[in-house]
Amino acid sequence: MQIQIEFLSSALLAGKDGNEKINLIISSIKDGKILVLENPLTNMEETKLIEATMKKVSSKFPGIEIGTLGSTSPDGIRGQLIKMLGGKTSGLTVIGPSHLVRAMKRDPQSMSIFASAGRR
Amino acid sequence: MAFEALVNWLMGIASIFQKRKIVRLGLYGAPNAGKTSLANKISMDWLGEPVGKVSEVPHETRTIQKKEHVKVRANGHELNMNLLDMPGISTKVDYREFMKYGLTLEEAHKRSKEATKGIIEAIKWLENVDAALVVMDSSEDPYTQVNITVIGNLEARKIPVILVANKIDLPDAEPEKIREAYPQYPVIEISALKGSNIDELYEIITKSLR
Repeated sequence: MQIQIEFLSSALLAGKDGNEKINLIISSIKDGKILVLENPLTNMEETKLIEATMKKVSSKFPGIEIGTLGSTSPDGIRGQLIKMLGGKTSGLTVIGPSHLVRAMKRDPQSMSIFASAGRR
Repeated sequence: MAFEALVNWLMGIASIFQKRKIVRLGLYGAPNAGKTSLANKISMDWLGEPVGKVSEVPHETRTIQKKEHVKVRANGHELNMNLLDMPGISTKVDYREFMKYGLTLEEAHKRSKEATKGIIEAIKWLENVDAALVVMDSSEDPYTQVNITVIGNLEARKIPVILVANKIDLPDAEPEKIREAYPQYPVIEISALKGSNIDELYEIITKSLR
C-alpha cells in the first residue's frame, strides 16, 4: 500500500474559515493522506480539529496524529520556545491518520514521523 | 524558574482571583497521566471521599468528575474550589487498544464511543475553568502535541496553569524534562499515588489561585 503525502500551501487554506479548514483536513485524512500544512495550525485550531476528529472516530478511523513546529502566534508557547532557541516563529503542521502515522517524536526544533501502511 | 520569577508569577495571577470565592480547577492531561489519582488524593485529603475510579485501562474517566467546595488550606491560606477531573485528551481512540486489557469487543466499542465524547467534553470545558493543573506522567515524553495544545489553549485564554509532574515514584521518572520543555511554567513534582510532595502542591495552589 502506498502512502500519499500532500502539501497544502498557505494560500490554499487562507481563504477558508475555521470550519472549512477543519473539514478539508478531516476529509483528506479520512482518505488516508498525510498532510503537511505550510501555515501551521494555532492551538485553538488544533483543539477544534481534535474535537472534529472525535466526532468521526469509528472502527475504521481511530483518529489522527498531529505535530506542529513553530507557531502563528508570537506569544504562543511554541513561539516562545523557538524564539528562545533563536529560531523563527513560522512553522508547519503535519497531520495523518493514526492507522498510518504511528507516532511523532518531537522537540522544539525537529519532528520525526513514524509511518507504516502495514497492520499493527 | 527562578524564585523571583515564580513569586512575580504568583502575585500576578493571585490578583485575577481576588474577588472570586470558588475557583473551578480543571485537571487536564493525556490519558493515564494520573489525573484521577491526583483528584482522589486532593478530595480524600479535604473531603474524605474519592472523586472517581482509577484504572490502568486508558480512558477510565470518560465524563467530567466533579467535587464541589473542596477547601484546601496551606500556610495560612485557604482556597475554596470546585475540583473538575477531566477525561484524558488524546487525538485517537482505538477500540483495539482496550481489548489488549481484556475488554470484550462490545465493551471496547462502548468504551471507545464514551471516550470520544469525554474528550469533546473536556475540550469544551477549557473555556469554563478558572485555573488548570496540567498533569503529566514524569516517565513519559512531556513534549507531546496534546500537552502543547492544551497548555497553548489555556495560555491563549489567560487561564493560570500549574504543571504537575506526576509519578515521580517510578524508577524511570524524569520530571526535569518537563521543566526543560515548559520553562515558563511552575512545575510541581509529585506522586499522587504515594502522596509525595502533595503539600507543596497545596501551597502553590492556595497562594496563587485564591
